[in-house]
Amino acid sequence: MAKRSVLGLYIEEDSAADALDHLRDAGFEDHEYEILTGTPYPEGTFGEAEPQHHLYRWPIFGALTGFTISLFYTSITQAAYPLLTGGKPVLAIPAMLVILYELTMLGAVIFTIIGIIFESRLPRFFMGAYSEKITEGYIGVTVTTDEDRTDKAEEALKKAGIDGEIIRGWE
Amino acid sequence: MATRTFDDKYPGQPFVQTDNSLESRKELSDKFLGIYNDTGSQRFWQISVIFGVLFGIGLLGYFWKIFATKDPGDFGYYAALFSFLMTTSAGAPMVAIGPRIANAHWRRSISRVAEIWTLIGTVNLIVFLPLLWVMPSLDNGRRSLVFYWEAKGDWWFPFLIKFSGHIWTTVSIITLIVLGIVLLWVSVMPDLALIRDNAPDGWRKKWASRLSRGWIGSSWQWNWQRHRMGTLGALYFMMLVLTHFFISTEFLMVHVPGWIDSLYPITHAHNALQGGVATVMLTMFVVSRIGPYRHYISLDQFHGLGKLLLALSLLWFWFWFCSFMIFWYGKKPSEQAILKLFVHGPYFPVFLAEFFFVFFIPWWTMVWNPVRRSVWGPAIIAISVLIGTFLDRVRMYVSTWDVAGISADKLAANGGQFSDEYPRNMMLNMTILDDPAFDRIMIIKNFEGLPVPTSAVLPTAIDGVIILGFVSGAVFLYMMASRLIPVINIWEQKELLLYNAEVQFHRAKVKVMGKPR
Amino acid sequence: MLEHTQLTDKELNDELLRDILTMPKWWLPAVLFLAAIVITGYSAFGYMVFNGLGVTGLNRPVFWGFFIANFVFWIGISHAGIMISAILRLTQAEWRRPITRAAEVMTLFSLAAALHTPLFHVGRPWRVFYWIFPYDFSRGIWPNVKSPFVWDPSAVGTYLIASTLFVIVCLIPDLAILRDRAKNKITKFIYAQLCLGFRGTTRQWKLQIVAGILLSALVLPIFVSVHTVVSWDFAVLIGTEGWRSTIFGPYFIIGAVHSGVSAVAMLMALSVWIYGLQNYIKPDHFDAIARLLIVVATTWFFFFFLEWVWAMFTLESPEIALRELQVGPWPWGPLFLIFVITSFVIPVPLWMFRRFRRSAAIMFFTTILVNIGMWLERFLIVIPSLMRRSHLTFDWGSYSPSLIEILIVTETFAFVALGMLLFAKAFPLVPIFDMKEGMRNRHLIKVGRRVIPATIREGLPHHYYNKEHH
Repeated sequence: MAKRSVLGLYIEEDSAADALDHLRDAGFEDHEYEILTGTPYPEGTFGEAEPQHHLYRWPIFGALTGFTISLFYTSITQAAYPLLTGGKPVLAIPAMLVILYELTMLGAVIFTIIGIIFESRLPRFFMGAYSEKITEGYIGVTVTTDEDRTDKAEEALKKAGIDGEIIRGWE
Repeated sequence: MATRTFDDKYPGQPFVQTDNSLESRKELSDKFLGIYNDTGSQRFWQISVIFGVLFGIGLLGYFWKIFATKDPGDFGYYAALFSFLMTTSAGAPMVAIGPRIANAHWRRSISRVAEIWTLIGTVNLIVFLPLLWVMPSLDNGRRSLVFYWEAKGDWWFPFLIKFSGHIWTTVSIITLIVLGIVLLWVSVMPDLALIRDNAPDGWRKKWASRLSRGWIGSSWQWNWQRHRMGTLGALYFMMLVLTHFFISTEFLMVHVPGWIDSLYPITHAHNALQGGVATVMLTMFVVSRIGPYRHYISLDQFHGLGKLLLALSLLWFWFWFCSFMIFWYGKKPSEQAILKLFVHGPYFPVFLAEFFFVFFIPWWTMVWNPVRRSVWGPAIIAISVLIGTFLDRVRMYVSTWDVAGISADKLAANGGQFSDEYPRNMMLNMTILDDPAFDRIMIIKNFEGLPVPTSAVLPTAIDGVIILGFVSGAVFLYMMASRLIPVINIWEQKELLLYNAEVQFHRAKVKVMGKPR
Repeated sequence: MLEHTQLTDKELNDELLRDILTMPKWWLPAVLFLAAIVITGYSAFGYMVFNGLGVTGLNRPVFWGFFIANFVFWIGISHAGIMISAILRLTQAEWRRPITRAAEVMTLFSLAAALHTPLFHVGRPWRVFYWIFPYDFSRGIWPNVKSPFVWDPSAVGTYLIASTLFVIVCLIPDLAILRDRAKNKITKFIYAQLCLGFRGTTRQWKLQIVAGILLSALVLPIFVSVHTVVSWDFAVLIGTEGWRSTIFGPYFIIGAVHSGVSAVAMLMALSVWIYGLQNYIKPDHFDAIARLLIVVATTWFFFFFLEWVWAMFTLESPEIALRELQVGPWPWGPLFLIFVITSFVIPVPLWMFRRFRRSAAIMFFTTILVNIGMWLERFLIVIPSLMRRSHLTFDWGSYSPSLIEILIVTETFAFVALGMLLFAKAFPLVPIFDMKEGMRNRHLIKVGRRVIPATIREGLPHHYYNKEHH
């Protein structure tokens, strides 16, 4: 069945928090509704569940990748063209260390960035129910659910005193 | 507690009520005085007796040592002990000074723990003074930061020239100690006043009223205290860096021919910061988790200091590698000899252990959140860093003083004279080779005649006794000082009550922190 | 900071997007003027490619001149972005909010500017690929990773990529604001693509915050390594007096921080004057950055002192002769004097006074002085040392820049200014969402008659404390 999303806008933080309570009472699960805000709020402001993420794994994986690539780069190029310079051995570890370090860090950063985007569930191609008022300070509560449950969601959103009309969108 | 009221003057900014009631302030001091007035558990006294006895034995070893020998070569471990105490105890107060200047609230309950370490400077002064006799004067031609020339005139002028390195170092060390103690005193005054007014009669009350110097907490006094602490703290830091500059050159670098490392004074001072943070970390662990002050020192302090320790461990590697890279890359013979002396020569095992204790272990454990955000993690890492710092001091000082023993005194006895006109290592090459006293020294022709010891100097029993004794002495003095001086900074905690509130922010409980400056 | 203008989200959007959504009058002439300088510089480079490096003032033994000094200077400036944004982020300093983005963007453009001069300097820039990339399978010649000239591109490249990505990730929420505010359909479409469909869910904000901290922690070690590696371009050489010193890495870093933070202060004054950001950047901000600068400048001076002390300590006559050259004869002596006076002697005493610290004009003036001094510092490191590079006196020579070099160096300055202007036309120079967060977290504490600014602090997650109590 097709999923639909509905959005209610609130001016007060407490009304948005109430809306979450109503949604929970109406039997909606944590993954079905989301709070949309124009700025980060302290964790738990709306009584929402803390989102779980695995961002910390990404830099480790990236660092390993970067390290491996740089190890190949520094050692194989030297072994393939074994020219003694300045009395240093062909595989001169302190000299290699600089490049190993830089590329390890580069791998960690690139993977972290990919991780941030991926873990943020981005890129998002269809906006669904969204309002431009959110970046103006309104607080949005959006519910994404099966088509037949949207009425129930709208009712719960309205109960908390929304500002304006419900906004609907396709997922 | 939280009220969401707005003032017309400050639209859109809610006011917060802090819990600064008389009751909560009184609770803070009562709880503290309750612990303080309790004269210390039996275990406290048992432990202090052990440390005191060890200190006594250490003092015996100390006198034995200074009367038995004057050869710099025999003083390596002794100098390492001096430097270790200098690195840890004199670096520790920076944990109070730095965050205080940066206005970080988490320092408040541990600032005193850090400041009391300034008192240990006095123990270290006892260790330091004999080194002045052991270190050769400048008139045998050894290098110094101060350019030596043949001085004529009144007796004091040649003396000044001959011993300028000694004089500079002594002046800076004494200034550092005095600055530290004055800083402690200024900071402790309001708390001593608390004891003066509230403690039961006895020697503590008497001493507290003497030392609090009529502190009544007038706004003038508070203002005076804040400014003095700021100034003294900044001066202390500058003096600390300067002292490490003098020690690392006059007591270390100048004794090894060809060792020209402009970064090393900074590295030496950095080690002090690292050692200082580790010392405070360990002290606050002991005070709060073994001692009675658990209520005051929480995870926030361990976390704040733990991050600092991690950053300092990474910096350790950077400083070390910056020096190493230059020496390693150039393949200059003199610098190869230095690397052999300090890194991959006879002291390689020490270096390796140090590398692990002071960099690898802290780095590889503290990057993980669960370790960094615990109480046990940072405390264990602090022990590792302290062991590593001690090994570093052994590696640098023992090897250096070994070379100093060879090159300075024995050369002078040999009739050799250094001259600033010739690089000193050339002179070494000419004179040392004929001297049977240098069996142990491998003079490698390619290394421009730099002396590279082929074996490490091991500590004698006396060295062990002195090291154990004086480290125990430092702890003993700290424990004794904690009987009079409050280990927890009470007035800074009371001040925090003004600026700190737990507030209901819609559905979340959050902390609101104010910064008055 | 009590000086504070509380604004609503809508007011913040309107004020900070004004110059993006509308065209200020001064913008086009300024851009055209800077573009003309940049084009002149590139033309000079074209002329140099056509005629060879002979058109520069470089000659035996001074093979590194304006180009390399300018390279080190811009790398130094680029350190400010990370210094300000990462360190202040990690220490949760509230005053960072309005200035982080501008500082980071300055990092990007100054790094790009820094890359100009060494690439131009090699004469045939495309050949740099031979040094760096292992691609020459047919001839079997591979990069020499033992050379600092391979370390250097790897460090600078890593820094450039990492800081660019850092800026982009922190830009995403602001791009969403732009998407929602843009009136023109095409620009709206472009911003919508750039912001990747950001909506501001709890998860997205949480990751933004974690990303800010994690990336700061990752970029800081890179930042430290970059200028260290740049310093090793000089310091690993033996036989060039004045270069071979172990302190060079940290000395370059602290010098970079000195000039870079000064450049940020300069940028703050400029953005108040040009973009009218007085609601965001207050005298308190200048005060805070000036106090930071006192510490940085003093540390830098101590490092500078150490570098000299240990040069003298060697008692080697070539080293001492070089130092005499640096401080003595025309033009090095006077330049040295200007360098010390402008980078330390004038600014630091001025910063001691609160009244001067809080003045945008004074801060602008002093930080310009610092950067004049720091440019000269790099110049005095590069050229006099090379003049003595050869130990045979008949090879001694001097150096004076040619018009081509002057044009190219001028171009780098115009390039950075132009880049900043173009960036500020398309993207907000003040992180809007960060400002909004600061406004939302702002509280006040009343103690008696005194009102104290306060903010919400998020410490460790609660479960860490719970764990401890059990």
